[in-house]
Amino acid sequence: MIASLRPTLLFPVTRTSTEANRTGSWRFVRPVYRFKTAPCSAACPAGIDIPTVEMLASRGQLYDAWAHICRENPFPAVCGRVCFHPCENACNRAELDASIAINALERYIGDAGLMAHSPLAAPEVAPLQRRVAIVGAGPAGLAAGYFLTQLGIAAEIFESSEEPGGVLRWGIPSYRLPKSVLAAEIARIEKAGVGIHCGRAITPDALNELAARYDAVLVGAGLAATLRLNISGEASIVDGLAFLRDVQTGSAPVVSGEVAVIGGGNTAIDVARTLLRQGARPTIVYRRRRQDMPAFGHEIAAAEAEGVRIVELMAPVSVAADGDGVRLEVQPMTAAEVGSDGRVRAVPAKQPPQTLRFNRVFSGIGAEVAEPWHRPGDEADTIRLSHCVIRCAPHAMGYIGDPVTAENSVAHAIGSGKQAAIALHALFTGGPEAVLPAVERCRVGPGPALSLEIYLNGERSHRTSRMVTFADINTDYFSRAARCVIPALAPAAAAAGFQEAVTTLRPREALAEAARCFNCGICNDCDNCRIFCPEQTILVDAGGRRSVDLDYCKGCGICTVECPRCAMDMEEESA
Amino acid sequence: MRQVLEGSHAISEAVRLAKVQVVAGYPITPQTHIIEAISQYCADGSLKARFIPVESEHSSMAAVVGAAATGVRTFTATSSHGLALMHEMLHWASAARLPIVMGEVNRALGPGWNIWTDQSDSLSQRDTGWIQLYCEDAQDALDTTLIAFRLAETVNLPAMVVIDAFYVSHTFEPVDVPDQETVDRFLPPLAPRFRIDVDHPQALYPMVGPAFFMEMRRSIQEGMEAAGPAFDAIAGEFESVFGRRYSAVETVGCEDADLVLVTTGSVTSTARIIIARQREQGKRVGLCKIKQFRPFPAEVIRAVLGPVPRIAVIDRNVSFGSGGIFAREIQSALCPLEKRPAVYSYIAGLGGRDITPETITEVLRLAEETPMPAAESGWVGLNPDVKP
Repeated sequence: MIASLRPTLLFPVTRTSTEANRTGSWRFVRPVYRFKTAPCSAACPAGIDIPTVEMLASRGQLYDAWAHICRENPFPAVCGRVCFHPCENACNRAELDASIAINALERYIGDAGLMAHSPLAAPEVAPLQRRVAIVGAGPAGLAAGYFLTQLGIAAEIFESSEEPGGVLRWGIPSYRLPKSVLAAEIARIEKAGVGIHCGRAITPDALNELAARYDAVLVGAGLAATLRLNISGEASIVDGLAFLRDVQTGSAPVVSGEVAVIGGGNTAIDVARTLLRQGARPTIVYRRRRQDMPAFGHEIAAAEAEGVRIVELMAPVSVAADGDGVRLEVQPMTAAEVGSDGRVRAVPAKQPPQTLRFNRVFSGIGAEVAEPWHRPGDEADTIRLSHCVIRCAPHAMGYIGDPVTAENSVAHAIGSGKQAAIALHALFTGGPEAVLPAVERCRVGPGPALSLEIYLNGERSHRTSRMVTFADINTDYFSRAARCVIPALAPAAAAAGFQEAVTTLRPREALAEAARCFNCGICNDCDNCRIFCPEQTILVDAGGRRSVDLDYCKGCGICTVECPRCAMDMEEESA
Repeated sequence: MRQVLEGSHAISEAVRLAKVQVVAGYPITPQTHIIEAISQYCADGSLKARFIPVESEHSSMAAVVGAAATGVRTFTATSSHGLALMHEMLHWASAARLPIVMGEVNRALGPGWNIWTDQSDSLSQRDTGWIQLYCEDAQDALDTTLIAFRLAETVNLPAMVVIDAFYVSHTFEPVDVPDQETVDRFLPPLAPRFRIDVDHPQALYPMVGPAFFMEMRRSIQEGMEAAGPAFDAIAGEFESVFGRRYSAVETVGCEDADLVLVTTGSVTSTARIIIARQREQGKRVGLCKIKQFRPFPAEVIRAVLGPVPRIAVIDRNVSFGSGGIFAREIQSALCPLEKRPAVYSYIAGLGGRDITPETITEVLRLAEETPMPAAESGWVGLNPDVKP
């Protein structure tokens, strides 16, 4: 009965499609998806595609994130522990709250890859029928071997020690890099097809033989000889690098009581922290100011927290045996003007020298090549690249790693091995003229970081070299969120043994940290462009790629403005 | 089951029982409790509805307009400035013929910033094409909300359920909350007469030129005209299911009265006592409560009040430059009669000022003792100490 009271309704309805109105004809600028370079990836000496890695990690796609790192760096678990992470200094997020903990995330992802026993991807290119011999199984040599196999070139590494790894094995103490982690990542490289021959010291004669038998030889012998202090009584000083190596082999003598470590770099810190773990009380004696120490800041802080003392502005003058111990004479120094290397110089202060007494004195002042031929000469036909040196004739020859890189770090060594692999591939396929353009083409943004993915014309090669700045980020879409706290042992517990001092993020923290990433310059499928488009012109294909339906796009630009991460541009229509 | 509920929550309970599917809301005193309770129901799953928190009342109404166009049952609630902000969208809802139900808590508009009750907010929306039903207490609020869904869905016009701020909204009273099964018998799921449907693409409400616009407006008027009889029929069905009787106009002792007091909302409860007391004293006074303001029940008013010599109307509102709005509507409804009662119009209780038994007694006394009604509305209960 009530239904009968229903009134008739009159209101307008249309079934004519608005598709007839091609609003695209109004447009004079058009949106384009144009992915750009994230500053972190350009700052990474290994050129890792960090925004994509963090995007995948934030979605829990750990294997994909791991595989993505391995395209550019076969050592995620190692670098996640020892890299000095210049990427984090470049991170745009620092201007909003704090940079992404990229290094800790790399470690988390790297460890996940180790736990899953994931093999490295097979090369995507056809084999070249070329063979390269590599001298030295340090990070540069191992990286070169890996990237060469990725480019279809057979690689064999000759290592003088009984174990591969170079400075990673012998120089970096276990509390920073457990040798099981290193061994697992090297085993993976070997499984990917790189031949590693240990106990094969190479002499100049052997080098010539290799040059004759292989299509090219890469020399990556590292800096194996400790620098001399050139002070009297130097024979009483223990070589810090040799000491670190002896600790690894178990042949180091046990040291106790007050000991001195001379130097201010990472070696000095490593030696001091190792001595501390052996039960000694180490003091670092450094000739410049504390803020001038070349060691990484976080390493200095960790050493001090554990109990290492640092004495600054004290230059060693002489050493002499004194009963059971050693007398170290030091000259107090004072800071002077900035030197030619950009660092503040130290000059003797107007104070008399002092004498300090220690049970032992160790050096930790850096190293140089062990043999002159470990460095390139100045022959003709030598191409000096940002991370390596290549000689094209008479035999193709390359130099990689610390002797030729501007900075000595594991990441630079990996970048060096990669650049050499790309250069040799270019040389083999296009001759000497092809080398420079090939290296130039695979720069990440303005460089000098290099990407193998770009060299192989992968998706990254379509990104522009323009670096995304903080001003490019639409911060309306990001709220402040605390950076994760990187888990670590309490200093006293860490100093008690060779257990890892820093530990791996837990899954929840890692996911949250990865989600903080702006993903500068790339599309992370946030769909803002599609949601905000007033004409519904953003199309998504089966592969998840977006495009603009230009029949209806009015060119209003809302999509580009609402893109939080600068993955779109507006460009003028050509007349 | 009888529960002690505040008036706001009586409406919230009715919304839950009505199985509303989409609710949008923005907080404003004194309405907030309604929407707050509903959001809780949505969160705890006792109401399976999509709750849309919005940034303004304009968006709140826009959201339910959009939702209702897809053929689902919708609800929102507001008050005072919030209702004023919705104004544009109120026209939209009615002309779009969407059966939206809204809880509206009567509150004054500022400035003088004031959160207390008067009817100026809802009556300012008189001409927007919304059905307006005023409630006396919490039970009335619950029952009227259920009736409003049925009514709105019958005539395809939106309906406002109006309660007084604080006197009803924040006062706890015993309320008979019906069980779901009984409510389902009275209020079946919404069977929309039209809706947006992706499988049958159509655009609703494109431009309408002069050639058709008047007919469209005429159709809304016909809907309002149908709403009167529809309310009566639905109220009849409600009584048969729940045993409580509601009507557009309720009368007490009007048949033999020399003077009838007309009220709306919670004032009615106070007036019931005064009228009963005066009748005991032998005075021939009656009470007429107007529940339904839109559509205005002019025919019933003529039938009930036409034979009465004097009518006193208490308006908790004022149309500046005219007077009490209910009084003017009643005068207008009585106009076609040959012999018309004298209508005495009084403004009282604005901005939450209490309408006490003394105020009502004073209104009755004034109407009795004034031989001819003035053209203007009289203001009752003014504070003599406040001088401009």
